[in-house]
Amino acid sequence: MSSSVNDEQTRDQWGTKLGFILAAMGSAIGLGNIWRYPYVVYENGGGAFLIPYFVALATAGLPILILEYSLGHRYRQGAPATFHFVSRRWEGLGWWMAGISFMIATYYVVILGWCLSFIWYSLGEQWGEDTGAFFIGEYLATSSGAAPEGFWELGGLQWKVLVPTLIAWAMVYFLLQRGVSKGIEMASRILMPALIVMLLVIVLRAVTLDGAANGLDVLFTPDFSALGDAAVWVAAYGQVFFSLSIAFSIMIAYSSYLPSRTDLSNSGLIVGLSNASFEFLAAIGVFAALGFLAGVSGVPVTEVVESGVVLAFVVFPQVISALPALNSVFGVLFFATLFFAGITSMVSILEAVIAAIREKFDLSRRAAVNWVCGMAGVISLLYVTEGGLFYLDTVDHFVNAYGLVVAGLAEVLLVAWIARTLNEQREHIDSMSYVKVGSWWTISLKFITPVLLGFMVVYGLWQEFAEPYEGYPGSGLVIIGAGSVLLTLLLAMALSLNSRAPHDDLVHAGKK
Amino acid sequence: MSTEAIIMFLIGAVLLWGGLALSVVIYVRAARRDDGSATGG
Repeated sequence: MSSSVNDEQTRDQWGTKLGFILAAMGSAIGLGNIWRYPYVVYENGGGAFLIPYFVALATAGLPILILEYSLGHRYRQGAPATFHFVSRRWEGLGWWMAGISFMIATYYVVILGWCLSFIWYSLGEQWGEDTGAFFIGEYLATSSGAAPEGFWELGGLQWKVLVPTLIAWAMVYFLLQRGVSKGIEMASRILMPALIVMLLVIVLRAVTLDGAANGLDVLFTPDFSALGDAAVWVAAYGQVFFSLSIAFSIMIAYSSYLPSRTDLSNSGLIVGLSNASFEFLAAIGVFAALGFLAGVSGVPVTEVVESGVVLAFVVFPQVISALPALNSVFGVLFFATLFFAGITSMVSILEAVIAAIREKFDLSRRAAVNWVCGMAGVISLLYVTEGGLFYLDTVDHFVNAYGLVVAGLAEVLLVAWIARTLNEQREHIDSMSYVKVGSWWTISLKFITPVLLGFMVVYGLWQEFAEPYEGYPGSGLVIIGAGSVLLTLLLAMALSLNSRAPHDDLVHAGKK
Repeated sequence: MSTEAIIMFLIGAVLLWGGLALSVVIYVRAARRDDGSATGG
């Protein structure tokens, strides 16, 4: 452990508690809140989905979030050293989480670049009539059209994507270099309020469009029979899990920068409920806009419903072009909203890696940021190629479905069953917090969360073997998808071989 | 919008936004009790 990095006097700290909450909100609120959650609700019982969603939030999302706050705050380390202190042999879990975050950062920044491009393309709706052909064919120049034929055709670098990606990298680098208080916190204090105001403007415009009510009807009309489907419950736990930035090692790093006296449980409640409230609001805006688009196109709402990249970069440009007025303004507003949501998450993803690297190698912030951004920057070039979309989609799927979920499962099993420090964590949280976490927290983490996360992994694997993801070739899924998860695992094992944190330090400090 | 869709929207809105508002009130009160400032580090 580096004394220069971890010393109480010199370790980075948030300037204010509000700054921490805004930064944690910025981390949790990302692209998925806007382009994933609305579709997940629609696909899984509409309004009825809210029931498993709230159950998942209460029994997995909030408990894990508060657990990570406790771990980071108690041990004041990044994830690897934190898990070393929980149980000496488990430092590798922290490195695996950091590795997964690093892998996600390499493609997340490219999507930020797409957002920057589309802010520009919004001016005068430069995407034309066929938004799908513009995004896939002209902008990304995706190789050979459809996979699997074009999967391995790397092609050349796409300058239209490379330039905005480099601009996004420059912004991320600038914020990370400035540090926790002057960089991340300052950006969150400006971007988070702006993000909320921008989303409110978009939602207000969307719900006042003709046909908006039809879209909202499709979103909220409940299908209670869906509650009997295990897949719906898996979707609810998956949404909550992926949305809250848990198991990324981010929240451990962020809470390690907190002052010693901080209300942990209420901070978790505010961040968790802000994230859920934001995506609920985003779903209203998205489906109101889709209702409008369906009306203009003369088709049922169900025919225009999409999620992810296609929703943002193909369907929304259609919505923007169809607006009665101020098309460019709302185009810029929508893609800037995506960018703001994304960059605060991107910075947090890399900060988790930087915190871990600094502690391990005793590096200055500048050196750690240079190394991490430099390596991630080189790898991100893979996604700027003509085949980049396929690689991005594949890595995203595997790293999320198997990396994050398995890491989250291991984290809960470690604390609750292997090291058996759940009660100590609970005492730490309750000693700090106005809202006591109570026995629901212990029961959730000890029984409900491990069972559900375990089921998610098995269910995902079963689906993987039943049908290849997106019809991509098996070689691609194994090499790029499973390979990326395996690479993070091998790196984690290598980095934890020379386990170096002096365990006794914390014993003497009374923290163990 | 159908009545059942409106009911589900209201349930979601009250639980999420109401829960968030309650958490913020607790945060502000606790912060004032601690040091007289909600943003005082």
